[in-house]
Amino acid sequence: MKTLRLVLLAAGLALGVIAYRVQIHNLGVFTTPARASAIVIGAWLFLVAGIVAWSRRPANRLGPLMTAAGIALLLRQLRYSHDGVLFTVFFIVGELSYWVVAHAAFAYPSGRLTDRLERLLIKSGYTITFFFTIAILIFYDGSRPLRFFDRAPRGSLISISGHGEVAVTVQKAFVIVVWGILGVVAIALIVRKLVRATPRARRILAPLLIAAITVGLRAIFESVFTFVERPSAILYEYLFWWQIAAFIALPVALLAGLLRARLARAGVGDLVLELEGTPPQGIRDALSRALDDPTLEVLFWLPERNGFVDAAGRGAELPSVDNRTITTLENAGEPIAALVHDPSLLEEPKLVEAAGAAARLALENARLHAQTRAQLEQVRESRVRIVTTADEERRRIERDIHDGAQQRLVALALQLRSAQRRLMDGSDPEVDRLLAATVNELQVAVEELRELARGVHPAILTEDGLAAALESLVSRTPFPVDLDAAEGRLPAQVEATAYFVACEALANIVKHAGASSAIVRTVRQNGLLVVEVEDDGIGGAIAANGSGLRGLADRVEALGGRFRVESPVNGGTRIVGEIPCAS
Amino acid sequence: MRVVVAEDSVLFREGLVRILGEGGFDVVAQAGDADALHRAVISAKPDVAIVDVRMPPTQTDEGTRAARQIRERHPEVGLLVLSQVVEAKHAMELLSESPEGFGYLLKDRVIEIDDFLEAVRRVGRRGTAIDPEVVAQLFGRRRAQDPLEGLTAREREVLSLMAEGRSNRGICDKLVLSPKTVESHVNNIFTKLRLGPAPDDHRRVLAVLAFLK
Repeated sequence: MKTLRLVLLAAGLALGVIAYRVQIHNLGVFTTPARASAIVIGAWLFLVAGIVAWSRRPANRLGPLMTAAGIALLLRQLRYSHDGVLFTVFFIVGELSYWVVAHAAFAYPSGRLTDRLERLLIKSGYTITFFFTIAILIFYDGSRPLRFFDRAPRGSLISISGHGEVAVTVQKAFVIVVWGILGVVAIALIVRKLVRATPRARRILAPLLIAAITVGLRAIFESVFTFVERPSAILYEYLFWWQIAAFIALPVALLAGLLRARLARAGVGDLVLELEGTPPQGIRDALSRALDDPTLEVLFWLPERNGFVDAAGRGAELPSVDNRTITTLENAGEPIAALVHDPSLLEEPKLVEAAGAAARLALENARLHAQTRAQLEQVRESRVRIVTTADEERRRIERDIHDGAQQRLVALALQLRSAQRRLMDGSDPEVDRLLAATVNELQVAVEELRELARGVHPAILTEDGLAAALESLVSRTPFPVDLDAAEGRLPAQVEATAYFVACEALANIVKHAGASSAIVRTVRQNGLLVVEVEDDGIGGAIAANGSGLRGLADRVEALGGRFRVESPVNGGTRIVGEIPCAS
Repeated sequence: MRVVVAEDSVLFREGLVRILGEGGFDVVAQAGDADALHRAVISAKPDVAIVDVRMPPTQTDEGTRAARQIRERHPEVGLLVLSQVVEAKHAMELLSESPEGFGYLLKDRVIEIDDFLEAVRRVGRRGTAIDPEVVAQLFGRRRAQDPLEGLTAREREVLSLMAEGRSNRGICDKLVLSPKTVESHVNNIFTKLRLGPAPDDHRRVLAVLAFLK
């Protein structure tokens, strides 16, 4: 392959010399050394850029395409020869060279035409141009000069009937159709390509495609001039150099694109240094810079979950949409991480590979980090579930007590009472006394059940929320309590937790504190529900294992909150629970 | 006095109907859920509807909602709400418009049959019956610098019974006091709490509850 490239390069350079000479010797006043050499240099640039691209990315067809474009542009100049064979062959072949250039532009950067419309444009370009040039030569007889040619007649080998007028007209039609109409279509497709590209791809495509638009515009002007009787020579001069500038810009843009990828790969070297000492969350940013893809996401593989998680340990799905591509990084056959990135990075697999290799150690580290986070997250979720389930159980028990046992006991007491009244004839005072005592016992039992149910989970908490439940609680407390409760409903487990904090705290005050008054306060601030109970008692409370306070702390912490007890000896007790409540 | 009973527990309902019948009430309809209660109120035109707070299908607040609707659509019907738990807040909400012909009692109050029948009668005569538990809660809500501190123990007792909706006669019976004594207690209370002159039995409930609130 390398030999082939060297041969093509040598051939192209030699061909450039020939093309120069053909122009100078055959076009007369239509050319100057400057013009002729500018054309050759533009073509050489294509050739060199193509050869460089080809050797850097042997698998990419863009290199061969650019090389072909360079050679085709040089061969095109041979059509100006006065030799009939050269004229005939290269008049036909030469016009196809612009389509090779367009082909390369549209195929950038993958080297393949992936879009249906673009493929259609290039195909029709080749085909229509081919048939038009043959048609021109069939009618050409040398009697009228062809467009872009000097006045000297040339011999068309395939001339069938000599109609110089017709040849010129067909050539006009060719310029209008191929350069005008297809030029407009080409520009439209380029704009469409830019609009549709992902941001990263757009940055890569932009310079090349802008150069291509410049060439396309030049072609369109040419077709417009077919309608002008005598275009100004100065204007033509300008247009010529515009064309040259654009033809030089095209291969330069491609080289720049290539160089950019090389620069990016050099950036991977910095990545290794940068990743040293980067916290796991920073890896994404570093990789994103190295790969020049601001949309990059890094997901980590957790074998025990058989799935991916993000850096925070939250479960994540690999996206399956057109504008995202996934590269999985592995270590000894085991996936470590997945990079979710812009599809344009697929054009630079070496770059992604290098970045992945550089980041492997850091990624493995971050993966372990994510794994720990995921486990913590699981534990956290399960704690919340435990609290929530326990609350639901409590609510169910409360209702079962009311609607079951309590209800039956009341009905039973009522029946006994009725029976007692029927027997009130005084025939057996002992029975009367017995029934009265039983009914009393039942009443006490009902009362106790009601208190039990309230302790398990007060109905008013479910029905009317925290503020109402606290008010009810405070009104049953046997000493003055100042209540300042925030209104509004919150998630059930938050309300229940805050309620039980206040409930347990007040019960403790009754039992131990020797307090004369207390304050209960709930405030919502910064996404937290803060519940605070303060008394003026003897202090010295501790949230030790097994105590009610420890249970409260567990409960609050299970919901991701904080719980603290401030209880200096002889300084009263202040209990504060801060419970997250997404508000 | 015509009574409708809405209660889904058959055992309790039957007991209730029996004591009402024996107490001289005319139980004109029985209902097991809120819809049946509405139909019964419309067709039987009772003086009093006795309603359980928890009824099918969800066993949460069907009874409360049914009670509110009856108050709105049929204000002439006395309403006695029974519940397994009573909350001062709920009592105040149900009372907020008018205490006339309204009662809110714990279910187990039924067991003290005479007291209960007296409460039904009171509600049927456009009076009020508030559960002692609710009154206790209202008392319990008092904070520092409580004007109630100035009342004697006896006066507090009388105040509680007034808040329950009892008439002077009812209070006499309950505390075994002479009508004159009760009257003087009532006047003292109204003076001490600066509630102005004591109105008649029906209206003073509101004044007392509003004060306690």
